[in-house]
Amino acid sequence: MSGTRVLALLGKELLDLRGRPGIFLPGLLTGAIAIFLPILVAVIIPAVTGERLSDSADLQIALQLYRDQPWARLLDPEAAIQSTLFQQFLVLLVLSPVAAAMSLAAYSVIGEKQARSLEPLLATPITTFELLLAKVLGAFLPALALSLACFAVDVAAAALLARPGVFLALLTPRSIGVLFLMGPMASLTALTLAVCVSSRVNDPRSAQQLAVLVVLPLTALLVAQITVGFVVTVPIILLITGVLAVVNAGLIRLGVSLFDRETILTRWK
Amino acid sequence: MLAADALTKTFDARVAVEGVTFELAAGEIFALVGPNGAGKTTTLRMLAGLIAPSSGSVRFRGEPMAGAAAALRAAIGFLTEAPGLWDRLTVQQNLRVHARLQGLPKPQQAVDAAMDLFGVRDRAGEPTAVLSKGLRQRVALARTLLHDPPIVLLDEPTSGLDPESARDVRELVLRLRHERRAVLISTHNLDEVDRLADRVALLNTRLVALDSPDSLRARAFGSRVRITLSSASTRYVDAVRQAGARDVREEGHRLSIGLEPEGAQLVPALVRALVQAGADVEAVEREEASLEQVYLRLMKDGGS
Repeated sequence: MSGTRVLALLGKELLDLRGRPGIFLPGLLTGAIAIFLPILVAVIIPAVTGERLSDSADLQIALQLYRDQPWARLLDPEAAIQSTLFQQFLVLLVLSPVAAAMSLAAYSVIGEKQARSLEPLLATPITTFELLLAKVLGAFLPALALSLACFAVDVAAAALLARPGVFLALLTPRSIGVLFLMGPMASLTALTLAVCVSSRVNDPRSAQQLAVLVVLPLTALLVAQITVGFVVTVPIILLITGVLAVVNAGLIRLGVSLFDRETILTRWK
Repeated sequence: MLAADALTKTFDARVAVEGVTFELAAGEIFALVGPNGAGKTTTLRMLAGLIAPSSGSVRFRGEPMAGAAAALRAAIGFLTEAPGLWDRLTVQQNLRVHARLQGLPKPQQAVDAAMDLFGVRDRAGEPTAVLSKGLRQRVALARTLLHDPPIVLLDEPTSGLDPESARDVRELVLRLRHERRAVLISTHNLDEVDRLADRVALLNTRLVALDSPDSLRARAFGSRVRITLSSASTRYVDAVRQAGARDVREEGHRLSIGLEPEGAQLVPALVRALVQAGADVEAVEREEASLEQVYLRLMKDGGS
């Protein structure tokens, strides 16, 4: 493998993105919703209705769960429930880089084909693995940057709008694990899936539709947290991250075998 | 330099190229001509190591290239039918990415040299999307030659270009020959082939004919001489027949006379016979069929 060739194509991918800011829109929208929802539920609605979260019988479980964590005992009941809600919605924030990665990756191979720039690219000594690696990284790095930016905004919003100390709930090992282990791995899964699919179809939307499958388990995780009090602990995060890492390794191998230069050059019109 | 040995390519049941054999020598311009769907681009792609032949092989400097397609691609500059530039990137960025993909030790130096050679230095910072078709083609050519390849494959290099840009491309192709590179051009422009090519391959899934343009002419139409007279030619037909001409056509004030092989010696005798018969001879010239006529004839006859 040639690092120079991977870096060359990666550089091109990043330069190309600068001219397509619209492609970040799905990721930005998902991020904005993920940031806004806990603020709406934990801060705005109680302020508008005048009802305290800690008075709600529905949220007592959350309060109890949170009080089991030593540092959270310092928080008053209202702040503890706000912390719970901000943490629960972090899983939703994971969807932001996933959505961004899907948009970026779906265009990766198909975009080259549509611009008719794939054939000159394939005429260089670049190998299929190098090409796919550069494509995956070209989508992954911006998605990761978006994830970091959204997380920074989320922490800032919690610090400014929620009760004192609530933002610390976003800086626990569990939160960091969700955002920086599970999130990137889920993004990687979405985008390797999208790259694999985009090697075989002619339409970016087809690639996006198939890659959206990654969103389903994440959404299920969020629903389970909110409805049945399922807690995503650090071991669970590590387990999910490990499983996704294995899946990603398999998907990259699959992508290399699916990327048939001949079919792409001769059958795509 | 580069050889195709019985190259065959099938896509499912369809045969795109069958048993094509030829060699491309250093310092040669070789033209591949044929109708749409004749297998020209497929042949180029096999030669460039982009797709594998179903049977047959490609040899580079005598060595079979099976399994070494990446090495073959490094030795070849392939201008694809469409320029295939990254539209949002500038001219310089496009070239620099390709210079690095080719593993050049001093990519910026190579890019600067290529931009100077193709006269696009003043547009270096502009996105290629805003360039005219001619300029885009120049950038694509610069990209093709960036790594100084000994073999250059050009697929429709002047297609859709204005006359001035097309002339620039033809001059470049001649320069490549002068630099002892092996150049293969696939084109529909027969006038261009006539001006540039040392050898022409007519392809219609299989090789229909392969030779120099002059040899193909002789093969299709034989050799003819045209004699222009000051008056109607009808009354001089008998005179030239008596002098040995067998295939004589009257064309107003002109006589078109077919010559047998080695028949050039007959021309002075024909002129003498005409003068003795009272004709005023204004011009004697070799009659050349256009390559288009040759192409149509050979394609129709299937090369026989």
